[in-house]
Amino acid sequence: MTQDRLSTGIEGLDTMLGGGLIPARPYVVSGTTGTGKTMLSVQFLQQGVRKGERALFVAIDEPPSEIRENVRALGWDVGKIRILDAHPAAKAYSKRVSLVEVAAQRSVGSLMEAGPSQKTDAMKKASPELSVQSLQLMLRQELQETKYSRLVIDSLTSLKKLSETVEDINTSLRSLLRFISESGVTCLIVTDLPDPTQLEPEIFITRGEVRLHRRLAMGKIDRCVTIEKFRGSAHDTFPRPMTISEKGISIDPRKRIPKALLRELQAFTHFA
Amino acid sequence: MIREKVKTGITGLDEMLDGGLIPGRLYLVSGTSGTGKTTLAMRFLMEGAQNGERVMYVAVDEPPNEVRENMRSYGWDISRVHVFDGTPDVMSYDKTPVRDVSTERRVQYFQDVSKEIRKTSDRAPADMTVNTLQEMLRQEMKERRYTRMAIDSLTSLRYFYIRTSEENTSLISFLRVLSDLGITTLVTVQLPEISKPDVEAHIARGEIRLHKWFDGRGLIRGVTIEKLRGSKHDDRLRSMKVTTEGIVVKPSVPMREGTGADEESAEPPPPPDEAPQGSAQGQPSQSPQEIPKDQAAGIQGPSETAGGPKQ
Repeated sequence: MTQDRLSTGIEGLDTMLGGGLIPARPYVVSGTTGTGKTMLSVQFLQQGVRKGERALFVAIDEPPSEIRENVRALGWDVGKIRILDAHPAAKAYSKRVSLVEVAAQRSVGSLMEAGPSQKTDAMKKASPELSVQSLQLMLRQELQETKYSRLVIDSLTSLKKLSETVEDINTSLRSLLRFISESGVTCLIVTDLPDPTQLEPEIFITRGEVRLHRRLAMGKIDRCVTIEKFRGSAHDTFPRPMTISEKGISIDPRKRIPKALLRELQAFTHFA
Repeated sequence: MIREKVKTGITGLDEMLDGGLIPGRLYLVSGTSGTGKTTLAMRFLMEGAQNGERVMYVAVDEPPNEVRENMRSYGWDISRVHVFDGTPDVMSYDKTPVRDVSTERRVQYFQDVSKEIRKTSDRAPADMTVNTLQEMLRQEMKERRYTRMAIDSLTSLRYFYIRTSEENTSLISFLRVLSDLGITTLVTVQLPEISKPDVEAHIARGEIRLHKWFDGRGLIRGVTIEKLRGSKHDDRLRSMKVTTEGIVVKPSVPMREGTGADEESAEPPPPPDEAPQGSAQGQPSQSPQEIPKDQAAGIQGPSETAGGPKQ
């Protein structure tokens, strides 16, 4: 018996994943800037909305209005994706104001309603601090009110940089992912390319990693995708070519990638 | 005189270990993510359970319900493997008193694990530290006679159960207690892509390391015995595959690292109609007609000299 799989909204990627993602587990989407991580995530959410599911986008890197602009440029109707604006507010730098509970300040709106970036009352109040811990508290509130099936956090790299103490990040991150799993939500965590000399906890506590690659050669960008890990499922172990067009991301799981790109990829996989 | 060796259940690996592991000792299974550490550890436990031994899997990374589901893809019956759910709860950041986890969690058979993930209690999360885990395991081992155990993984213990300042002392203490239990134990360790040895490597009596890399045609897997105290062992890199049946090691096939080219030819790729579809981890999931022929051959890893495809 095969498990029910959750489509990523990208047909070729589903094929590479042996049918799609295993629901209610956390996954990582990694890659350097401009590889298409946010776009892949939005496509994943859009697929859910199309199926009548509720989908939530946690925006940390970019304000919601910009994300809306960007995906609108592709002609997508993403109005039903719910968005949690966790974009860091402008800092007040005034003296000794007590911290404001961030959960009380943030609100979820649909991507459709995302207006121009909200001005912070930085002059009057302290700006709320965003951390892994406060995000869990925010999500707890939101997930209690609304039953989501898909969630994207864009990006964990920024979230970690915003969280102050490194010591607590590992445990609070583990707790956040556990919380999401217990809520039965399938989650994509967007991160930068992991440092090969470091063991990033998000890589080993998640159940899979989809990695996006790009390379500029002869005035053209070559893109490809690899499944670095996928627990409990068969998956394609080959890098496959990926294209970004006005229809979004598409992946051809039958094609091979250009040799030069392959050589570059090989430089990333070190033999211990 | 050394007692009879303990078989890992993977024939080729047992050959590399000169018959198996010396009983009652602690070993590491290391490798980067997706190399097959959990699969190897579970195969080792199943081997014991099939012989009627009492064996235990200590889940630290993944909740037991997911582990059981994942192992189904190999068609394995792990119902008689005992499992201890050592995964920590969701943290509540309120100032509620934390309860002692030992009153909450019990060792159970995998067959009794619920289908859903265990939910953190609303009242207060249970506190799980490396010390509570250590004491609970010691208590359990005192009460019942186990012969095999797997801790999956030590890396999660290090990252999520221990405050950074106490990291090494707590880990050494934990490993020391495990060693003293006299149970043949596999401890999985996740390595970064470029790694250096850590404390556990010195304490363990042996280390099995799993490797994977791209050779330009596909993903290649290999296994080495990094260390094995008190026993002779194979010191070469050997070919490994993850199939629908689990891990297969071919000690007769030495490899050259980095290239993935076997010095001897492995068996030819399976005909399209026999190839597994969507079942084994690590195997390409798409049907063979979707992979160009020369790529499919690349997975199987024949060398160029043995008639493999010329690039």
